[in-house]
Amino acid sequence: MSATFRKTEIILLGILAFIALVLLPALNAWTPPESFFHISNFTINLYGKYLSYAVLAISVDLLWGFTGLLSLGQCLFFSLGGYAFGMYLALKVGKLGQYKQDLPDFMVFLGYKELPAHWEPFRHFWFAASASALVPALVALAFGYLAFRAKIRGVYFSILTQALTYAGCLMFFQNSFMFGGNNGLTDFKFVLGHDIRNAATQRGLYIATGALLFLTYIFCRWLTQSKFGKIQRAVRDSENRVLFSGYAAPNYKLFVFVIAAAIAGLAGALYVPQVGIINPSEMATDKSLEAIVWVAVGGRGTLVGPVVGAFAVNALKSWATRAFPDLWLIILGGMFTLVVLFMPKGLVGLPGQLYSLWQKISRRRTNAPPDGDTSFPEAPSDHQNPNPES
Amino acid sequence: MTVIVLRKHTHWVVFYFCLLAGVLIFEHPLYAQAPTLREALAEVLPSDTTAHDRFFNQLAAAEKFDDTTRNLLILWRNEELMLYTDAAGKAIPVSIDTPDANGKSHLFSVATGQALNDAAGAPVLAEASALTPIDSDATLRKKIQRAMDLADISSANPDTRKLAARKLGTSQRKENLSLLEARLLKESDKSVRKSLAEACALIRLTDFSSPKTQIAAANELAELDCLGATEALRALAANDQMDISVRKAAAKAQKSIRDYKDLVNFFGTIFRGTSLGSILLVAALGLAVTFGLMGIINMAHGEMITVGAYAAYVVENIFRNGLALSPLGIPISIPGMHAGEGLFQWYFAVAIPVSFCAAALAGLIIERLVICHLYQRALESLLATWGISLVLQQLFRVVFGANNVQVNSPSWLMGNFTVSDVTLGYNRLFVIAFAVLIVVGTWLLLSKTRLGLLIRSVTQDRDMAACMGVPTRRVNMLTFAFGSGLAGLAGAFLSQIGNVGPGLGQNFIVDNFMTVVVGGVGSIVGTVISALSIGISDQVLQQILESPVLGKIMVLIAIILFLQWKPSGLFPTRSRSLDS
Repeated sequence: MSATFRKTEIILLGILAFIALVLLPALNAWTPPESFFHISNFTINLYGKYLSYAVLAISVDLLWGFTGLLSLGQCLFFSLGGYAFGMYLALKVGKLGQYKQDLPDFMVFLGYKELPAHWEPFRHFWFAASASALVPALVALAFGYLAFRAKIRGVYFSILTQALTYAGCLMFFQNSFMFGGNNGLTDFKFVLGHDIRNAATQRGLYIATGALLFLTYIFCRWLTQSKFGKIQRAVRDSENRVLFSGYAAPNYKLFVFVIAAAIAGLAGALYVPQVGIINPSEMATDKSLEAIVWVAVGGRGTLVGPVVGAFAVNALKSWATRAFPDLWLIILGGMFTLVVLFMPKGLVGLPGQLYSLWQKISRRRTNAPPDGDTSFPEAPSDHQNPNPES
Repeated sequence: MTVIVLRKHTHWVVFYFCLLAGVLIFEHPLYAQAPTLREALAEVLPSDTTAHDRFFNQLAAAEKFDDTTRNLLILWRNEELMLYTDAAGKAIPVSIDTPDANGKSHLFSVATGQALNDAAGAPVLAEASALTPIDSDATLRKKIQRAMDLADISSANPDTRKLAARKLGTSQRKENLSLLEARLLKESDKSVRKSLAEACALIRLTDFSSPKTQIAAANELAELDCLGATEALRALAANDQMDISVRKAAAKAQKSIRDYKDLVNFFGTIFRGTSLGSILLVAALGLAVTFGLMGIINMAHGEMITVGAYAAYVVENIFRNGLALSPLGIPISIPGMHAGEGLFQWYFAVAIPVSFCAAALAGLIIERLVICHLYQRALESLLATWGISLVLQQLFRVVFGANNVQVNSPSWLMGNFTVSDVTLGYNRLFVIAFAVLIVVGTWLLLSKTRLGLLIRSVTQDRDMAACMGVPTRRVNMLTFAFGSGLAGLAGAFLSQIGNVGPGLGQNFIVDNFMTVVVGGVGSIVGTVISALSIGISDQVLQQILESPVLGKIMVLIAIILFLQWKPSGLFPTRSRSLDS
């Protein structure tokens, strides 16, 4: 462990963890509302949402930035985790629902008399919590096994994951699939016996999400720095060379795919109690692409980038949807296109990019002989390149 | 020789022709029949029930039943016929038109259909309240309806006759049998004859006194493949008070008709599947060009479809009354041509090239601004074009509004015709023909023209083509514009099938990519086959699973499994390169 983390990094991480996990909740809980330092319940809730987005973004980056797998299905896994935990929450509503019955409201509405068998175990918190990681992981395992075995790579993988998400979305939209159909699961009341609308509960959920983010960060940091991480990046840069060196690249990809799905599922599980609803629209391909925007804007191939991106884009979204409701999508789309075109390393890589640009300009000004632009950010490698082996 | 002779005697030919036409016109029911029925109606209207019944009998026996009389009967039923007492104190049955600004209406005589004039020759105007309404009670209304149903089998319109025969058949009332049989002897139209025969057999089926007649009727129904008889046959087969031989015959006939129905449904499904596949095909062909040939993942391809659809919408509105838009509060008004019905029919012929050009232009701009930086970076092209797709969708919303807009089809695309009970819609037939045309056109362009040659060379090896002096930049630009234009064509057609909205293209993007991947990237033949098979299997699965969504999910799963077997599609591009 000590080799993978530098001292300054540990200190920085500690400070950030302190601010996010201790200071902000403390300011929310113990300062009077009129105080300058007070953090409102709304802000805590909003940040809690951003934190779960950040976890999702890390999972996307683990696939895309580190392994070169652009999955458009991360939101499916996020929502599956959300649904697994949402089922637990829906069952804990008890007789407080609209129909005053033990069954969740939508089942009463559809005329069900008793709980379907596959809902039964979700009464237990730990089952639901572990299912929120395991169900996405299993789906990812099944799909990934088929996809990687058939050597589906690059854009084909993206298109296929898109189709998977689309299929999932259609499936959950159906009433007969027994997950609430169009409306999804909502009107939650309790989590672990606490009132879900209570400020203290929301604070607890915020801290839990923050903790998940830090654990995810540390885990991914360790994973990507290990020998496994090296192979992961090698797969990204040139899968064939990895194959010829005797590594079973598909297995590595499958492993990362499953891990990323589990992480996304956990993020979804913590997201649902904070926003109070989970419905199939969360599975739309657009949501996956939005998560990819966060990573691209933040800077892929780094672990800080996705977190920065998730916060930056969502903060911008919160502001812009209020200030220019008509133009928000134009801003998002335009920003994304520009980032892809001109900022391949995202916000995190921007200083380096600007620095090398400045160097280039100053070199031109001093009229020094060009020495093969080593400092210019190299175009991101891409295994779709027609002939990398030749 | 004949031609010369004909030319010499042109005036005689014209004369005879006119004579013939004149005779035909006077034979026409409107001239020959309508006055008598109308006059009879006018006569009995103020009268009592016996007179009414006499009229109804006359109606049922009438040779021809025209629409004018029918409309008058409907007015009578709805209590919209009035009695007008003229200066001489005579009560004249009249119908009235919509009141003018003073609340007064023109009066039209039931007997002649002419507007009533007073002694001076000026049209009579009256308020509806000043006239005596002709009341009808429930019994009379029922009688009128029945008389109309009976008379409809003598209608001048074969479709009305057919419907009337079906209606009388399903009601299975024995007293109508003689009427239907009499009509069957006179009927000349083949399809109406079939309906009449079916109706007769259906009524004979209820002849409980004679099992023999019933069995014969059941057999006849089976022979006629009468789809409307299944319910009656089922009831008869389940009726345990019936003779066992009758029940057996009914069950047999029912089974035979059910088999026929399955066959009809099957062909209907295949037809719908082919037309759905054709829509997919037109849309996917554009993608096959941009994705298959150029390796660019254009997530904005769906928006190119939408551009085409909105272009058709704009053209339609230019042909009508123009269009007023106000994106972000800036008013833009496009003047209209106020074209008449005849000219309006042609708007779609204009809309097709306009849609192509609009989408091609949009594609050209996107290629120049964004995609030209992204060749060799396929994954990034996916992301950048998704950004563009978001921008475009929002632009549509800003310009055309968030709600769907409706595009009216020209009348030659509406309607349908039936071949052995399989309904074929004109718009669906048109899309199939259209798809064939586009596929052939694309194939010709790619394989027979110089541009096609250049496109193929750039596809195979961009760098080598550039070394050989191929202007790769311009070829890329044109290829991308062409692919986008094809999407625009798909949009133009989609506008004729459903409503147009900002998210129209989004519904197709997943299907389109699937089509191209399954077909084999870069293969036109593969795209054709996969589009048709996806379209047809989608429809067939929908039919079997009885749920459109489940059908779609099954298709997606089937595609994922199919790619296990053939990872690079039906017709993979062969190459020695390791990573292709």
